[in-house]
Amino acid sequence: MKSVLRLLILSCSFLVFHSCVKEDFYDNTKQGNYEALWRIMNEHYCFFDYKKQELGVDWDEIHARYSYKINEKMTNAQLFEVLCNMLAELKDGHVNLSAPFDFGRNWSFYEDYPENYNDSIAKLYLGHNYHIASGLKYIILADNIGYVRCETFEEGIGDGNVSVMLHSLASCNGLIIDVRGNGGGQLTKAHKLASHFTNERLLVGYISHKTGKGRNDFSSPKAEYLDPASDGIRWQKPVVVLTNRAVYSAANDFVKCMKLCPNVTIMGDRTGGGSGMPFNNELPNGWTVRYSAVIYYDQDMQHTEFGIEPDIQLSFSGADIAQKKDTYIEKARAFLNEKRWTK
Amino acid sequence: MKVTTIMYKGLAMAMLLLLSLCTYGQEETEANSEQLTVNCQLNKEVLHSTMIGLGSSNVLDTYLSSYNYKGTDYRIQRETMRMTNLWGGRVANQSLIDLNADVNKNHARNIDEYAGGIRYTQGWFYNFMGGNVVNPVERSQSHFNFAAGLSASGYLGVVYINRSGNNPAQAKADLLINVSGMATYDMVIAKHHYLWRYQVSFPLMGIAFSPNYGQSYYEAFVEENYDHNVVFAYPGNMPSMRHKLTLDIPIKRYTLRVGYVAQFHQSMFNHLKYHSYAHDFMIGFNKYLYRR
Repeated sequence: MKSVLRLLILSCSFLVFHSCVKEDFYDNTKQGNYEALWRIMNEHYCFFDYKKQELGVDWDEIHARYSYKINEKMTNAQLFEVLCNMLAELKDGHVNLSAPFDFGRNWSFYEDYPENYNDSIAKLYLGHNYHIASGLKYIILADNIGYVRCETFEEGIGDGNVSVMLHSLASCNGLIIDVRGNGGGQLTKAHKLASHFTNERLLVGYISHKTGKGRNDFSSPKAEYLDPASDGIRWQKPVVVLTNRAVYSAANDFVKCMKLCPNVTIMGDRTGGGSGMPFNNELPNGWTVRYSAVIYYDQDMQHTEFGIEPDIQLSFSGADIAQKKDTYIEKARAFLNEKRWTK
Repeated sequence: MKVTTIMYKGLAMAMLLLLSLCTYGQEETEANSEQLTVNCQLNKEVLHSTMIGLGSSNVLDTYLSSYNYKGTDYRIQRETMRMTNLWGGRVANQSLIDLNADVNKNHARNIDEYAGGIRYTQGWFYNFMGGNVVNPVERSQSHFNFAAGLSASGYLGVVYINRSGNNPAQAKADLLINVSGMATYDMVIAKHHYLWRYQVSFPLMGIAFSPNYGQSYYEAFVEENYDHNVVFAYPGNMPSMRHKLTLDIPIKRYTLRVGYVAQFHQSMFNHLKYHSYAHDFMIGFNKYLYRR
């Protein structure tokens, strides 16, 4: 008994003293921060293969190319610029570097394209008497089409809010859900809203996360389903979802789900994408880095990182703007009214 | 490696070796055994000890950040010990509730971290010396007592970093079987008994919760896509230990207890590194009750 216990204690103590779990290499120099950022991305970023295929991004080549630009005499602002340029090679809106004096980003997914949205004009459609249910602004337009403005999925959208809204719009001939400029938020809220537009369980995509530091260490994709809302109202009439290039992240996922729902037509411009779930980490100097960590595929196991094509492509008309009309909303109204009469 | 770390490790190693070596020379005698039985029948004492502590904390969780967060550890421990009738009264039972909370900062001191949890341990100690480890001052035939045994423990905790994102927090949970050793020394100065007690324990095996390397909590708990989230823990992937050194000081009818607690909790599950090191100076009171 004593021998066994003595052996256990000595064995355990040996293991403990020789098995320290330590932090990764910590070096708060310019070079150290550069290496830390490259390594964090190298071990955690989930789209290297896809970005290599689409953009020719070679992360090892990038390391060699940018390391020449780092020296210990550079200022923090200069270091920040170099690091942001390195991250910008990935063309990922979910990849950011955050310092006290700046926020590094690549928003080319919408900045390089027409906005196709005019806030002043869109507000004319809502007027002053619109309702708000958990951030969802809604009103019935003159031709008995319901208009819902969803600017973000950060708000706490629940079955109750959505059902109250849909009940108010129940007499409408069709519904427009305008998510233009919606940069995302909580995935659960996006799915909650989408769940009111299907009566059946839908396979909407697959999820795969990293299982190790290797660039190809991924879990086998697991199916992701959209279940119909179990509480409240499920909408049965035609729906148009309006999109532009600024529809990103959770809003992109909302469009992905809605595209599979019956009676739903996606109109507008291609979405901005952003199909990786972002995680955060930090550099030795305290700057925070955000990166895509989990891949969300669509139902055909295709990436939506660079956006989703609409069913009907639209462009903003200069003539409409001059008349203070929103081309997207007008086209959607015409589409829904035509669908009503066709039916 | 810092000098303080080496010092702590050296101290702990020396105490471990001392404890292990001391178990060599302890021989049981029939007289001792008989005395034990008598003690067992007579001794109905239960020791309750409550201590609060303050010390340093060092937490690493690579699911949240690649780097250590350091700060202050606040701790409360509630311990109950009693002798049992097992093995002729040689076995003592100990239950321990250990509650801690950490407030830490990163190296750059621009991000806060809050960590904490509660561990409940139930252990049984075989007393090699034949004394009473619950209250050796009253009952022991020797100034020294040595005991060792096994304990079962369960832990629930959380680590939270106050920056936004999909990985702001990490849940901690485990169920473990531990091996423990305990030594007491009754130091008599001017007819007053001052009791030193040192205890060390290591997790031997168990199960623990961990997300996978890049798995989000959304995927695990909303989508219910589990992926090696319950892992088998053993010293190879959870090399941890807990030390506790206390001194009981009698003050009239009361017993003041002061002590030092060192916890080195480490794990490496699903390629995620975690450690939580804490060093606390503790103070509290003992209370001896008598069972009927």
